[in-house]
Amino acid sequence: MNKKLFRSCVTPVAAVALGLIIGAILIASQGSSPITAYQAMLVGGLRDSDALLRTFQKATPLIFGGLAVAFAFKAGLFNIGGQGQLLIGAVFAAGVGFGLDGLPMVIHLPLALIAGGLAAAIWGGIAGALKATSGAHEVIVTIMLNFVAGNLTDWLSSSPWKDNSGDRIIARTPPIEPSAEIPTWGALPVGFLLAILVAIMCWFVLERTTFGFQVKSVGFNKDAARYSGIRIGVITASTMAISGMLAGFGGAVESLGVDGRFEAGVNVGLGFEGITIALLARANPIAVIPAGLLVGLMQAGASRMQFKADVAPEIIDVIQALILFFVAAPTILRWILRFQNQTDEDLKLGVGWGSK
Amino acid sequence: MTSTWRRLFALLAVFGLLAAACGSDDSDSASEAEAETVDFKIGLVTDTGKVDDKSFNQSAWEGAQQAAAVIGAEVDYIETEASKDYEANIQLFLDDGANVIVTVGFGMGEATIAAANAHPDVLFIGVDQGQWGGVIPNLAGLIFPEDKSGFLAGALAGMLTESNIVGAVLGTDLVPPVVAFKEGWENGARYTNPSVKTISTYHPGGIDVAFGDPEWGATTSRQVIDQGADIIFGAGGSTGNGALIEVAATEGLYCVGVDTDQWTTVPEAQPCLVTSAMKLIDIGVASLIADAYAGVMEGGNSIGEVGLAPYHDFESTVTAEMRATLDEVLAGLTDGSISTGYPLS
Repeated sequence: MNKKLFRSCVTPVAAVALGLIIGAILIASQGSSPITAYQAMLVGGLRDSDALLRTFQKATPLIFGGLAVAFAFKAGLFNIGGQGQLLIGAVFAAGVGFGLDGLPMVIHLPLALIAGGLAAAIWGGIAGALKATSGAHEVIVTIMLNFVAGNLTDWLSSSPWKDNSGDRIIARTPPIEPSAEIPTWGALPVGFLLAILVAIMCWFVLERTTFGFQVKSVGFNKDAARYSGIRIGVITASTMAISGMLAGFGGAVESLGVDGRFEAGVNVGLGFEGITIALLARANPIAVIPAGLLVGLMQAGASRMQFKADVAPEIIDVIQALILFFVAAPTILRWILRFQNQTDEDLKLGVGWGSK
Repeated sequence: MTSTWRRLFALLAVFGLLAAACGSDDSDSASEAEAETVDFKIGLVTDTGKVDDKSFNQSAWEGAQQAAAVIGAEVDYIETEASKDYEANIQLFLDDGANVIVTVGFGMGEATIAAANAHPDVLFIGVDQGQWGGVIPNLAGLIFPEDKSGFLAGALAGMLTESNIVGAVLGTDLVPPVVAFKEGWENGARYTNPSVKTISTYHPGGIDVAFGDPEWGATTSRQVIDQGADIIFGAGGSTGNGALIEVAATEGLYCVGVDTDQWTTVPEAQPCLVTSAMKLIDIGVASLIADAYAGVMEGGNSIGEVGLAPYHDFESTVTAEMRATLDEVLAGLTDGSISTGYPLS
């Protein structure tokens, strides 16, 4: 067993286990059987191709959102704006998806994806550029931009880009053209493959390129990075832009591969889940994939769990919160499991706070 | 390191044991099936809300339970967490062999139509889902003449107001039922009090925020009070509730709730709450399920009943004369001799 791999796995695995145990106690205290409940959850997320498809669909935006947060972490930046960036990506991908027609799929689909990613990159880049030029804290700016994005996408989908056919009540865009639809191969949505591909690319950029080295240098020690000639401002701005683009891809894939349009209010909360995923994966782009799959599975199985075991579906949110709590507070885990001191592997989440 | 592994496994083992210890009652479905049950299954899928939301999801669930008790049928619900799960949640009941599936809320309309077309042997009841695009034989859309409900409330308000100004704080005009409530309310007030002035304000936001903005409701209702209104109608989810609660803070003013009897659902509004303009969703759902069980449910639109909630603490405020007038208005609305000025489209 690779010692380093083991050490980096033990905290998340223990956190998931503890979260599920406490979840089981809560389920039992509601008078339901945890076994029935968890069994129903697994069946609901894995049983047949429909269930698998749902799990993959739920996991896809989580992976993109997780990558967005993880990438920013590497430069010591905390991107809380995943939700807004995802919405921007979703609405602009849908805009290109329904707005252009007569294009072949090989052009239309990538164009719509890139439109969503690019718009979200600009959205994330605003926070990065403000941080680089004026020192405005990215946590505050990204939170505020979430509201702006929410209202901007509401307005786009209820006024200029509104679908005026049919009932006309719902604030949503017309359906995208078939040539912009991301296909599904059996139980496998192509958007999910895209997420895996992007995760591998993130790993490659961070671990095997000069740019990635610079990003991590800024995250590790800003002063040393500046002293060694890295332009902190450029790295900060471009990292936030990439982070925004990753979240935006998540939204674009939702519009083009799952919803078939943009609808105000249907992507609520998706972007925020990325924070859980990134923490669970300890900001490792490859580990984001299993983390996203795990939470995606829980969400896909939640309805069936509720149906078969009479458990309130919120239990999934509670378990997710518990996992996040244990991952973010490894001291508690260490006390429970009596690990040896392993501070070397701890993620420095606090770097972004209060630093100039 | 090995000891850490061992502890981790121990932890997982404890988890397994715990789950096993708690998981002895697998046969709960068998114990639920009692002697008088018939082979009839009712499923209810909520909108992205809860069956105890003190509003339309809860009313629909209560109706389904009443019907199930009368028939002796099995009944169960699923609360939808995200609107992307509408189809999957309906599918759970289809897989389970449900005979009737109730879907609650306008937002589920498209998913319900698709499911009804794909499963002609299963009956569907769509609450607040007008079937304007053509009749599907196995899908009944339960809709309500909100204009009549609003008209009754407005008629009472027209008699109660002393300043001759009545106000309404509403969810978005993107949703036809809200417009129906408002038009009915204003015309009702004018019916009993021709000189009344009406001030009605819609939330300016989209459909996803207009019903969840109690602060806007409170601010707007304060503005309407400042303009002299002494009775205010709050219609629009928690936005409307915010308006009611704001009115309750000032003594001597009246407020009117919406959808259900808000005396119980928004107790903070009790100091001003004269009545609520109700849609009797529970009765509508229960009678449609009874029709479905009897095999006589018809597709297309089914018009539910509306009415005013009890007056509670304001029993003495609403005089016998007023009640007589309201009875006349109700009779007129029912036989069509009084028009609300807002046709049900």
